[in-house]
Amino acid sequence: MSRRLLGLALVFPALAVIASLFILPLIMSAVGAFQVEGAFGWGNFIKTFDLYTKDILFTVVIIVLSTVLIGIASIAIGGYLTLGEHPVAVAILRWLYRWPMFIPFIVVGQILRTFLAKNGMMNNTFVSLGLMTPLDAQSFLDWRGIVIAFVWKQTPFVALLVAGAMASINRDTIEAARNLGASKLRVLLEIVVPQVAVTLTVGLILSFVTMMSVLSVPLMINAQSPTMLTADIAFRVNSYGDYGVANALGLISLVLASSVAWIYLRISLKERA
Amino acid sequence: MKRMSYAAFAAVFAVLPAHAAELTVATAGDQNMVDYINQYLGPLFEKTYPGNTVRAVGTGPGDAGSQKILERFDAQAAAKSEKWDVDVAVVHEKFVGPMVTKNYLDKYRGDIETGKLVTRNNAKMALGTNVEGYVMPMFNSQTAIAYNPALVPNPPKSYSELAAWAKAHPKQFGYNGIKGGASGVSFVMGWIYAFGGGDANTLMNGPFKEEETKKWDAAFKSLADFTTNATLTPGNAGTLDLLSRGEIAMGPVWVDMFYSWQANGQLPPTMKLVLPAPGMPGQPMHYVVPEKAAQKDLAEKFIALATSPKVQAEGIVKRFNWYPGIDADKVKAELDDATWNKLFVDISPADLAAKGKPFPIAPYNNAILEAYEKSVK
Amino acid sequence: MTGPRNPLAALWWVPRGIIFGLMAFFIFGPLFNMLLWTVAEKWYFPYSFPLEYGFSSWAKVFAPRGGAVESLVNSLIVALLTVVVSLALAIPAGYALARLKLPLRSVILLAFLIPQAFPNLTVYVNIARIFYEIGLNGTIPGVVLVHVSHGLVYAVWIATAAFSAIDVELEQAARNIGAGPLRTFRDVTLPLAAPGLMASAIFVFLESLDEFTGSYFVGAPDVNMLPLLLYTAGAGGNYQIASITALLLLVPSLVFMLMVERFLKADVLSRVGH
Repeated sequence: MSRRLLGLALVFPALAVIASLFILPLIMSAVGAFQVEGAFGWGNFIKTFDLYTKDILFTVVIIVLSTVLIGIASIAIGGYLTLGEHPVAVAILRWLYRWPMFIPFIVVGQILRTFLAKNGMMNNTFVSLGLMTPLDAQSFLDWRGIVIAFVWKQTPFVALLVAGAMASINRDTIEAARNLGASKLRVLLEIVVPQVAVTLTVGLILSFVTMMSVLSVPLMINAQSPTMLTADIAFRVNSYGDYGVANALGLISLVLASSVAWIYLRISLKERA
Repeated sequence: MKRMSYAAFAAVFAVLPAHAAELTVATAGDQNMVDYINQYLGPLFEKTYPGNTVRAVGTGPGDAGSQKILERFDAQAAAKSEKWDVDVAVVHEKFVGPMVTKNYLDKYRGDIETGKLVTRNNAKMALGTNVEGYVMPMFNSQTAIAYNPALVPNPPKSYSELAAWAKAHPKQFGYNGIKGGASGVSFVMGWIYAFGGGDANTLMNGPFKEEETKKWDAAFKSLADFTTNATLTPGNAGTLDLLSRGEIAMGPVWVDMFYSWQANGQLPPTMKLVLPAPGMPGQPMHYVVPEKAAQKDLAEKFIALATSPKVQAEGIVKRFNWYPGIDADKVKAELDDATWNKLFVDISPADLAAKGKPFPIAPYNNAILEAYEKSVK
Repeated sequence: MTGPRNPLAALWWVPRGIIFGLMAFFIFGPLFNMLLWTVAEKWYFPYSFPLEYGFSSWAKVFAPRGGAVESLVNSLIVALLTVVVSLALAIPAGYALARLKLPLRSVILLAFLIPQAFPNLTVYVNIARIFYEIGLNGTIPGVVLVHVSHGLVYAVWIATAAFSAIDVELEQAARNIGAGPLRTFRDVTLPLAAPGLMASAIFVFLESLDEFTGSYFVGAPDVNMLPLLLYTAGAGGNYQIASITALLLLVPSLVFMLMVERFLKADVLSRVGH
């Protein structure tokens, strides 16, 4: 019992900050989602699904795809940092991969827009290297641009966490498996990754949630239809002053993000038991 | 001796607050709006009224920037703050109506000398709300079609010609839909003025009638077709960006933004503007003063300075290429012809008078946007 | 670990070189693009590189009225305080969530996720309203608190993961040789969790430097932050100003990470002998 109280006492300060500084204001505004002209009603949700179902699906697909790619890339980076044998190569990679993490999202939007455009820097470079003719050049400023921006910015974040976790696992089992002749890929997937699964999932969930709330990337790379939910929310607020539908969209976004986290929490709870 | 200096100190401190007042100016709009206050108007004001300082806060471009100022007022009204932390705000036309309706603003125009120089109708009515007395236009802005003369030697003179051109040149026309900023919105409004079946004047001046909103079906159908042939650009800046890298040949832009991109060297100097018939909307940016501003007197002095013919000529027209907010004749008198004509290189004053339209009144505005969301996908 | 075993090993540099080269292109290409914009006076199609270079935009950003230096200092102070407060709150919370039996553990963890998961455009009006009422608007503590509410998700979730990953037996061993619970925590648990905690510190720092909406509603006009300068320029498409401001944000982030890393390495190395 006292352990339980101790636990609550330890969590309480952090929880109090969140509750008073975010959840309370959130509730103040989220009730608006259920009000139509002052009375309780589902009108905002009906309108939301009427106008934005496609955008909801689009958002889910984009973010799931980005999360998967980020997961693969960060396992690869972390794996190489842990298992790579050439110290110089490892050092190069360690130096290389982290840079995008430090660029704010709004600048990510801007620099990738000028990089990925049809006559942007990427295509220009390929053309000048003779890898491509100007006629083949195409713009990536659509859903692919959003995915690229997310992967570009978020991979270092997850990779940093994963690499840290990988570095602290016991090397004996790895060495033993290597001595038995297991390939590096097998060691990575069967020994290393399972041991960092918690960190990897936490990193991916945090990344998932962050991407759900980013506005500048969809706005600056692709704001066509279908677009991301954050762009719709901004549009409802700024163009119509319509907080009802905006909050309904916000709640849907919250449900999407929380359900992913919830699944993880259920699984991890089972493992703990 | 020591005593004396203490007394002097005390005297200085007693006087300081009264003199060293700080005027907070919150401005929506692009970087050039912040630059305008920081580089031109602020220093000028400090020189004119020594001892005061001006600080500018940029709240971001487009409607989002004005919305953030409105929300700031909302928060302070809900918190029942005695003194608000913004003395002067510069907001888009669309947000003045709600601010007046919610009683956030001071009716200051009668108090200042330059108030009499306001002649345009858009300082009386803002999208259907009577705002007479509450606002002073900082400048007027206009949307137009920017084009690359190398690719479009004969730019379309009307929306019908433009539609035909876009059909003949797939993906060469770009606009930013309605979610990426007001230049796309403006293009859509112009489309409805041109093809919307009803009377465009009713949309601009009211009154709002539900049945008017039913007349747009054909226009939206053709707009949806048109859009499949167009390139959708990411935002107001996105249209300019794609124009600057030659990926589109034409697109709707804000005239002032177009000029500031050229001035920044982000857009080739060869690009030109055209205002197609029957016209496209423009809007003023308004100076407003909150009812509960801490420095009301100073705020009025600031706006009086900002809307004086001299400042409008030197700052608004000469340095920043904006259309003046007050009576154009008064401003023109302050400038030589060459500078004045720079404003009208591509779009003549006659064109501007005939084809520079206001946005539809708020209820039509919302109805058009929502109809667009439903039909153009 | 060992040097090349045979001359053929050098051939490995061919695939490595290609992969690293591609990575470098995709990572540094956009960054290089940004760097070019900071000194571009004129740059448009069909030119692959700026037509004219110059520092006029730097002069603009650092003009005495531009407020860049003041904003940078504010941003740094706020970011550092945010890290300290977040970690102070998150370390006990993370430990409890990882180690102790807690009712509604999942719900508590989810609660920390909410500030990131709910697009906050509609929430800030209310936060600003509360802060106006209690006089926190326009103060550094106010901004720090708002940033903490966003940073806590990283701090708490990562701290929880870091503490869960530590072998309980190590703690028990310490307790068995007579160390008290606090000492065990300080000497055994905390150092083992340090890499994770430091990583979370970096994220909290970055999140704080990056945050715009809260900084505007709670900070401005009294406490101006760098993202406020960045936002208008970035969203409006003034590439030069936005790139310079981003560069200004990049420097403190890098310095912070290097500091953290240095501290981390020394710490990890010191325990190798045990």
